[in-house]
Amino acid sequence: TVAAFDSFRFVIKGSVAGAAVFVVYEQGLLGSGAQGAEALQKARAALPPAVQEWTSYMGWEVRTAPLPPTPKLDFSPSDSWNKGVHVVMSALSVAPTRACEYTAQGWKYVRDLVK
Amino acid sequence: MASEGELGRKWDRCLADSAVKLGAGFGLGIVFSVIFFKRKTWPITFGSGMGLGMAYSNCQHDFQSPYLLHGKFVKVS
Repeated sequence: TVAAFDSFRFVIKGSVAGAAVFVVYEQGLLGSGAQGAEALQKARAALPPAVQEWTSYMGWEVRTAPLPPTPKLDFSPSDSWNKGVHVVMSALSVAPTRACEYTAQGWKYVRDLVK
Repeated sequence: MASEGELGRKWDRCLADSAVKLGAGFGLGIVFSVIFFKRKTWPITFGSGMGLGMAYSNCQHDFQSPYLLHGKFVKVS
């Protein structure tokens, strides 16, 4: 009976592990890059309604004021990177001029103080 | 679709796929660690590493795709 229980336990464990692997494979999480990106998009789209459903299920909706809207998770890393590069390069290109202006202002301030 | 945006789209796809594969490997590592390996850490690390490796391979294939030639032999009788 101990051996039967052990083999039964192994079958249960194997089934759970196999089901986990099957679900991961079925959702396309182990496929090509396009499938992975598509799976992430689907998860992003499904997250706000799921959060909404959970908050209403847990009864966390405030009766006096509505909760703030769930934030949109549409994010492009390459766009953010390019914007960051533009901002940094623009700042660097005007940096010498600004430095001269601030130096002149500072010098004038100190001269007025000393007067 | 602008051609100069294609590289940015490939990077986006690559990063999204890396996140998905890392998460899936991590999750499967946790499942196997809890079920078979008495909650040891190494299956989780192994799963995460496998996920990252698969993502790296996919990214490499995606970035090199214009230069990969797929041919087939045609027997001329």
